[in-house]
Amino acid sequence: MIKHLKSIIIIAMVALVTICGATSCKSSGKLSKKEYKAKVEQATRDLNAILNNQTEWTLEEQQARVDEIKQVDFSKKNPEIMEMIERAEAKIAREMAERDRLAEEQRLAEERRLRELEEQNKPKTELTDYFNMIANAKDVNTANKHIKDALQLFESPDAVVLILLNNYGDYDRPTTAVNYLNYLKDQKKVTVKVNNIKYNENNKITELELIKK
Amino acid sequence: MKKLVFALAFAFLALSGHQLFAQEPELSPERKQAIDSLALEKVRDLSKYVKLIGSKNTPWSEANRVIDRAEELFAPDAEIGVSSLAKTKVEYYKVRKYLERLMRLNYDRVEIDWYKIQYVSDLQRQPDGTYVGVITVFQTFKGYDAEGRLVYQDTTKKDITVYVKRKETQIGGRLIGFWDVMLGDMRVKETTHK
Repeated sequence: MIKHLKSIIIIAMVALVTICGATSCKSSGKLSKKEYKAKVEQATRDLNAILNNQTEWTLEEQQARVDEIKQVDFSKKNPEIMEMIERAEAKIAREMAERDRLAEEQRLAEERRLRELEEQNKPKTELTDYFNMIANAKDVNTANKHIKDALQLFESPDAVVLILLNNYGDYDRPTTAVNYLNYLKDQKKVTVKVNNIKYNENNKITELELIKK
Repeated sequence: MKKLVFALAFAFLALSGHQLFAQEPELSPERKQAIDSLALEKVRDLSKYVKLIGSKNTPWSEANRVIDRAEELFAPDAEIGVSSLAKTKVEYYKVRKYLERLMRLNYDRVEIDWYKIQYVSDLQRQPDGTYVGVITVFQTFKGYDAEGRLVYQDTTKKDITVYVKRKETQIGGRLIGFWDVMLGDMRVKETTHK
């Protein structure tokens, strides 16, 4: 009897282990109905919150939550959740792109502000300074660099340059900004001073009148 | 008879008066001085251009740009004389050809200097209103070989005819009167050893 009892206990233990093992397999690989229902409710709540802007989560946190929801296969029993996932992902992607665009715009505006500030604080090189820098440049390359910079002050390299010989309205043959600046480079002397300057609406020189010193 | 004399005298006065008013008035000494200086300055500008074009240190693109600027100083058909101690005959070239030859001279180093740039004949007003004068220059030329040895040098006296004419142009809706200086032929007067 005792021998039989031992056998019964061993069989019962094996059966118990088998049953328990099977149950534990079921709980890790497949959700129970109760768990699945809870997942559906939680997913629906979270996705609705995302879609209706009712969450404090960042866009990255929202995307992480959607990725987490996608771990469960809702396609068979709850296709509406799959549709919500799709909409939520599109919304998050759209908002991320808009956020990045705004951030880039802000970065560019800040860059522009700093550049303008730097420009304002930089001592301005006047036209006559350029004349002297070009005429006294140590070599052709340096003179050409100054010419290029000086031309930025003009509307175009072909802006008119007039040279008054005296105060009786006698002029030299009219020339252009680029030719006059090159003339200073070739002749290595400045024999004029600025008499009058005309600007366009962008503050660029359209006509320069010089007078012999 | 009296009437005839009166009529002739009136006609003469009217004609001479017309001529008088058809011409521009004489320039004041200050204005004449300004155009004298302008013409002299153009010749001095040319001296810098010649030096730059001849120099082997001037980059090729710069030399070509300077040739354009120098050519603009001359009247379209002007010629420049070239002399040499080895030849008695003076060769004359069109301005562009002269300047291009100058750029390609067969020396390793070239030094050209102009000095004593002055009027030998002051600007005189011609009947058409153009002022014409002659400016003389002395040019020293030195050519060196690769070893830096001076292989040729001379000094040439050259006369340049200058023409100054009053012109007008419209700029920005304004009529601008300007003096256009044109250099004419550059004639070799003498060439000597330095």
